[in-house]
Amino acid sequence: MGKILAVVRREFVERVRTKAFILGTILGPVFFGALAILPSLILTRQSSGQRIVVVDGAPGDFGARVEQVLAAAQNRQSQEATYAPIRIAASGRVQDVVDSLVPLTGVSKKQNANALDGLLILDEGAVTTGKLRYFGKNVGSMEDMRELRTNLTPVLVSERLSAVGVDPGVAMKASTPVNLETRKVTEGRLTEESGASTFILAYAMGIILYMALVLYGTQVMTSVIEEKSNRIVEVLVSSLTPFQMMLGKVLGVGLVSLLQLGIWVSALFVFQKYQAQIVGLFGVSAASGGGMASMLPSMDPMLIVVFLLFFVLGFLFYSSAYAAIGSMVNTVQEAQQLQTPVVVLTLAGWFSGFALLRDPTSTYAQVASLIPPLAPFVVPVRYSIARIPLPELLLYILAMVAGLVLIVWLTSRIYRVGILMYGKQASLKDMWRWIRTA
Amino acid sequence: MAETVISVNGVTKRFSGHVAVQDLSLSIPRGGIFGLLGPNGAGKSTTIRMIMNIIVPDEGRVDLFGSKAGARDQSGRIGFLPEERGLYKKMKVLDHLIFLAETKGLSRRAGRDKAVEWLRRLDLSDWTNKKVEDLSKGMQQKVQFIGTLLHDPELVILDEPFSGLDPVNSRVMREVVVEVARTGRTVLFSTHIMEHAEQMCDRIAIIAHGKKVVDGGLAEIKREFGGKHVNLTFSRDGDRAAPVLADRRLVGRVEDRGASAEVELAPGGDPDALLAELVRAGVGLSRFEVAEASLQSIFIAKVGADGARPYAVTEES
Repeated sequence: MGKILAVVRREFVERVRTKAFILGTILGPVFFGALAILPSLILTRQSSGQRIVVVDGAPGDFGARVEQVLAAAQNRQSQEATYAPIRIAASGRVQDVVDSLVPLTGVSKKQNANALDGLLILDEGAVTTGKLRYFGKNVGSMEDMRELRTNLTPVLVSERLSAVGVDPGVAMKASTPVNLETRKVTEGRLTEESGASTFILAYAMGIILYMALVLYGTQVMTSVIEEKSNRIVEVLVSSLTPFQMMLGKVLGVGLVSLLQLGIWVSALFVFQKYQAQIVGLFGVSAASGGGMASMLPSMDPMLIVVFLLFFVLGFLFYSSAYAAIGSMVNTVQEAQQLQTPVVVLTLAGWFSGFALLRDPTSTYAQVASLIPPLAPFVVPVRYSIARIPLPELLLYILAMVAGLVLIVWLTSRIYRVGILMYGKQASLKDMWRWIRTA
Repeated sequence: MAETVISVNGVTKRFSGHVAVQDLSLSIPRGGIFGLLGPNGAGKSTTIRMIMNIIVPDEGRVDLFGSKAGARDQSGRIGFLPEERGLYKKMKVLDHLIFLAETKGLSRRAGRDKAVEWLRRLDLSDWTNKKVEDLSKGMQQKVQFIGTLLHDPELVILDEPFSGLDPVNSRVMREVVVEVARTGRTVLFSTHIMEHAEQMCDRIAIIAHGKKVVDGGLAEIKREFGGKHVNLTFSRDGDRAAPVLADRRLVGRVEDRGASAEVELAPGGDPDALLAELVRAGVGLSRFEVAEASLQSIFIAKVGADGARPYAVTEES
């Protein structure tokens, strides 16, 4: 036992001291922070006071109404006007006007006081075809484009209706689009989570699980290869059993990964709690940043428990597989090939997690939760969408533990023989022979 | 007879295509230095790895300290330096030694004390907190050597301990080995450098092609090999000695080393007569010494030029 602890301590201390660990641990929260702040900055800056010229080549007062509606549109968070529209009547000479305005579009406002953010072009047949053109610097922003479309559709609809004799006021009212606000209900309790944040939470958990399992699993593998190639393994194996070596390594690396995850999750909580203040530091008002609170997921304690439990089980599962692979080869290059089945399994787990987002209680979801290589991804993601009843959860844990015992039994047998094999790379046949020999 | 520390009984190990060790038996008593000699590829390392239970023999058995428990379960009593040296390159020297001590069952504190003491003894104190990769190869070897002896093992097994060392470091390590044996502990080391074995060992075994050729106390082996030997060193005109040394009435066998030669006299040959002949031939001598056979000449006589050639490894088809 003391010897395993020595191995665990060595793995842990040596890893935590590396620059890669320190850098990764710091960069994680910085990344989360950027994730929380950047959208606020982008949303508030981009979507207020956009200078848009409406190049009006359409007959009737369609262009005037478009200008009117755009001028009235407000940013829902900041209550500021979204657009500062200017209408230019250009009947018959649309192309000339556009050509003369394009050079002003997208240039910095400091450079040119008349700089424009975009051109909205209403061609002659715009009302009938519904085809409008928009040239602007923000065409890549899905948010902006959706906003523009939402604003323009009612104008178009009411224009068409009034053409067939409906009162324009009535037509305008009738074409107001649906505004769907989503909130998640968990066990009869209304949460603050919106539909989007549930998705983001599940998505984020999937990514973190996948990255951590592959990243740290690979670390276990390369460190086994390193021990093999610098031959320290002969010294170790004369005083430690291969199982002690493997267990110590897996646990040591596992603790490092838990420490890093722990720091990241705590950082996430801090960001969530003090988000308004943090966003405020960047010159964005708390109110306008407030919309982001729902973007950053709120995790309840039970979900964290399930997440961590399955992370630990999944880590032990995958890293023992990686340790066995490391023991079978002499170089990292050789390992690539053998790694493929494991990588495929992690990917399958990740994609299964996403497949569930649509229907977390489907038969597939239930079956996947029982398959040990997939469960570490599937169960936490499922749990984040809809609570799993305790007996069912226990069943999944049991299945996972059983799978873990089996894989550790298999991999430790491969490891025991593999770490002392040099030269020829082991084949699948060799592997099977190693497993069978007592 | 003293208590047997290592007992190798009829051990055979086959690798794909060839037999590395064949029906080998050794009995190594407590105390003293035992040399395992043999040309490259003779099976020395394989034998040591079987003693250390790193590889399992196909046939036969190894007992340590009269127990079947195996080297790993008794690792606290054994210090092992493998042929292929290896350390964690990124670790600091002291941390590394403490870790090695821990794997032998020492506490961290005891490991640290021992490591500091040994680093001082081998002049490595300045390197205590340096990373292993910053050390020269010779220093890394010393560090690993310390790792082998840190826990005061009763039995020290060293596979080619002095290879790749400069003369100064090689001597320091040999002194340490002799020191260890003087305190009543047992040292087994393998080498193909006969001079080291001759200077240090109480007992030796020579193996070639995986089989034991000679085994026993160094003095008895020399006595049994018998013959009267003369060591010559020429100061000038060494080439004139050739006809004298070719005289079968005087000289049985010659090992010509250029500026020197080791001569085994023919049965009934007289050293005085040889000296007189050499002087008459006009050979200048700086040394003329009547002695026992050297280990080198015994080794060559027993193993032969053929024994130095390793088996060709034939692939399994």
